[in-house]
Amino acid sequence: MMAQELFPQAQKIREGRIRIETTKDEVGTILRKLKENGYDHFVMLSCIDWINDGEFELVYHMWSYEYREHVMISIRVDRENPTMLSLRDIFPQIETYEREIHEMFGVNFIGNPRLGDFILEGWPHIPPMRKDFDTEKFVKDFYYKIPEVREE
Amino acid sequence: MRNEDWKKISRLVSKRSLWMVHFCTGCGAMEMPPVMTSRYDMERFGMHAMATPRQADILLITGYLAVKTLKRVVQVYEQMQDPKYVIGFGSCTINGGMYWDSYNTIKDLSKYIPVDLYIAGCMPRPEAIMDAFLKLMDMIDKGEAIGWKKYRKYYDQYKRNQRMAFAYRLDEVKEIKEDDAK
Ligand code: SF4
Repeated sequence: MMAQELFPQAQKIREGRIRIETTKDEVGTILRKLKENGYDHFVMLSCIDWINDGEFELVYHMWSYEYREHVMISIRVDRENPTMLSLRDIFPQIETYEREIHEMFGVNFIGNPRLGDFILEGWPHIPPMRKDFDTEKFVKDFYYKIPEVREE
Repeated sequence: MRNEDWKKISRLVSKRSLWMVHFCTGCGAMEMPPVMTSRYDMERFGMHAMATPRQADILLITGYLAVKTLKRVVQVYEQMQDPKYVIGFGSCTINGGMYWDSYNTIKDLSKYIPVDLYIAGCMPRPEAIMDAFLKLMDMIDKGEAIGWKKYRKYYDQYKRNQRMAFAYRLDEVKEIKEDDAK
């Protein structure tokens, strides 16, 4: 069954692109149902910082080779205390995306045991992909201020 | 024979057998396959890739370095035996290149390890790389490629900069600046 038949709330953005807006609790059920119905490729998990709304958007991307259709399942989580259940039991590769989003945005995925240093080692500041992290200021105050090696 | 003469001879010989560490970072690594293989064939200069840093003489930094990669680069560099030479590829190693405002790539390689030669370009063409190799040989012959001596002499300064980068800490930078001012 195609995604629009499975979920009446699914919107068609254009040919081959389906978007489903849902809540935290229902993502797991939707992913499982899609997996059973031919959408067996979990493409990626992405995150968007909607700083003015005080929310993060998590988007789970799924692909079906059978229908050649891309389904995006979107949820919003609170920006102050961002938590989400880990879905690594449905697709094991989600674990890696969760680690990345934990590092870059600070979303806490409950049930993922490997949330720790990933690409950045020992990063002491706020997660760098958040909109309120001023990259340019950080670079100018840090990398450019590391002194050159002075030769006598 | 005097000691100086021996050094001259050893330089003359060693410039013709430069082995490089097989360690590539960034996009500049893409230009290495044509240089290494039959199209440009760097082996005719006595250069080839070596699997372990302990047996290698040159380290090519082929592009941008994340701080995490820099840790590995420093480790590799320190494992290499003297004399050793470093070539920085492309604008990323010179001033950060197109990653000048990235939060996670170092901007100026020579602050962390001594660089004997930079190649301009983003990315440098194989012709430029070959030219740099010849230039490096020339520098070795004349005794100008002395990065490894600099690393020994200013070891504490290099180490300080490496520590600052690894910690991503601003206050540590300020403290050191104040120390310098005193
Ligand atoms: S200088 Fe250009 S080609 Fe080289 S690593 Fe940087 S961006 Fe890539």
